[in-house]
Amino acid sequence: MRAVAGVALVLMAAAALTLGVGVRPASLTEIWQALTAFDPADPVHVAVGSIRLPRLVAGIIAGAALGMAGTVMQALTRNPLADPGLLGVNSGAAFAIVFGALIFGRSDAGLMAALAFPGAALAAMAVFALGGGLRGDAGPVRLTLSGTAINALLLSLVSAVVLVRGETLEILRFWVVGSLSQAGARPLAAMGLAVVLGTALAMAIAPRLEALSLGATLARGLGTRVGRVQFGALVAVTLMTGAAVAVAGPIVFVGLIVPPIARRIGGHVLRVELLLSALLGATLLLLADTAGRLVLAPAEIRVGIMTALIGAPVFVLIARRLRPGASA
Amino acid sequence: MKGGRLVLGVVLLSAVLLSLMVGQVMLTPADLWAGLWGGTGPGALTMRVLRGPSTLTALGLGAVLGISGAIFQILLRNPLAAPDVMGFTSSAGLAVLLGVTAGVTVPMPLLSAAGGLAAAVIVAVLSMRRDGSLATLTLILVGIGVAFFASAAGSFLMTRLPPEQAAEAQRWLTGSLAARNWGHAAQVLGFGALLSLALALQVRNLALLELGDELAAGLGLRVDRARRRLAATGVLFAAAGVAVAGPVPFVALMAAPLGARLTGARGPAARILAAAAAGAAITVLADLAARSLVPGLQLPVGVMTGIFGAPYLLWLLAREMEAGDL
Repeated sequence: MRAVAGVALVLMAAAALTLGVGVRPASLTEIWQALTAFDPADPVHVAVGSIRLPRLVAGIIAGAALGMAGTVMQALTRNPLADPGLLGVNSGAAFAIVFGALIFGRSDAGLMAALAFPGAALAAMAVFALGGGLRGDAGPVRLTLSGTAINALLLSLVSAVVLVRGETLEILRFWVVGSLSQAGARPLAAMGLAVVLGTALAMAIAPRLEALSLGATLARGLGTRVGRVQFGALVAVTLMTGAAVAVAGPIVFVGLIVPPIARRIGGHVLRVELLLSALLGATLLLLADTAGRLVLAPAEIRVGIMTALIGAPVFVLIARRLRPGASA
Repeated sequence: MKGGRLVLGVVLLSAVLLSLMVGQVMLTPADLWAGLWGGTGPGALTMRVLRGPSTLTALGLGAVLGISGAIFQILLRNPLAAPDVMGFTSSAGLAVLLGVTAGVTVPMPLLSAAGGLAAAVIVAVLSMRRDGSLATLTLILVGIGVAFFASAAGSFLMTRLPPEQAAEAQRWLTGSLAARNWGHAAQVLGFGALLSLALALQVRNLALLELGDELAAGLGLRVDRARRRLAATGVLFAAAGVAVAGPVPFVALMAAPLGARLTGARGPAARILAAAAAGAAITVLADLAARSLVPGLQLPVGVMTGIFGAPYLLWLLAREMEAGDL
């Protein structure tokens, strides 16, 4: 539990940075005042309370959801390269958004989020199934390449639509790369609830998932209903991934980077790992977002690009350690 | 399979002919024939300015990408080992994009070659085990990681560009054959011819390497050096294609297996030739589809090869999975 408390402290520091850093910097006292005694006339209070607070909430929801979804996926597939972002979330959300705008002819934030949710989730599930995840033997190469193929297919279709109907391009710009900057307009409460549900489900099936990681045959022998556990895990991943995309747009690699760190500091108990992944995921996303605001200030690098630039080298590092020839 | 070769040849020729005939103005072969020799009719404009150069560029592009894919697939003995899967083409495209946005005056083929070679060296170094050996699947995975990085860097650059440059930049991220002229056709065919000479000198080494490293070494081949040179040649083939049209995806992946299946070719030289023809046919047909599916609009050719190529990759994965190779 010391590990959990330590990570929670780091998360609080990251949250303070998210609220404090910006064009109008705020000190800790000012942040406290803005949160407890909000004064609409004070520009610093407005920046903290109305702009950076939704951003913070969106970052925590999306980061925690992606961290936990990655942990569940890696436990389910026994594959350290499993990450919801790599499994077609980007392209699934973009695909649903663009075709939705084409069909419904409008593009308000609520509708877009409602479309991004199933789009992202369905694409991730398709990759997971095609990559052999349902058989419990999703090797790293196979899963990654299935993701590459689905991504390429959906993004090609998206480019085709965008080129035919130019007005969809503007909507798409946000949804190709994730960002926390428009968090205020997104359905944070509903998506927060989806993450809570997903977390509860993941925590409930965690012991049986652990049994499953011993191998399907052995787990069956121990009385685990394999199909049910797999289905539960998929529902949890879907809820959390969809919610993350709906509040922040597609963000890759958080679910890849976080679980190994959680395992290293918290050991191999899945429930502890989930808790640590949630805290670490939120921390990572908030820090990446703050860094993205600082590096080229006053311009802003979207957090989706920041996590991709950090995550791609981590992906390579993990891929290097694998012996896919022998174990995949 | 003599018949297979004939089929491939007929497909390629009809693809070229169709590509020249179909467009906003439909032409007959007679129009084209007349236009080729002069005059001012619709055939002349099409042959000399519009569809002629872009079809020839597509032909050259498909051929060099197909050859590049064949080299890597033979060298690494894995149908997934293509320069587009391993991130060489997207890195080459990124290098061109960087050069274009930074306003440097280095010619595009050099930028593209530098980007592709850099990616190949990075992938090879990062995949190397402590004992200096390389595993094909690790190479492919690390290559995918490098491709991720290149695409993230590309997205980042895109958001920094003014809108009028963003359209041009998109070419270097997805691959497009719009508005290609005789210069582009000459460039890709010229580099392709030079590289083919270099490859012809190494085909024997490729055949030896295919027998296995130990046997090749026993037959007097300096295995590592031969492999490095062949890989560099393969990257340069891909880079020559990227320099005229951007990183058109999946052509390099699909061409060699398709060519080998149609012609039944066995030896490396025959498979490389078949891959060149198949790659050319795929690219010309994809370009034709990209131009004519939506009237009045030219989609990038990379969009079409993506839509065709992704299902192929999935099929390939499913097959490898059945065979237990993955």
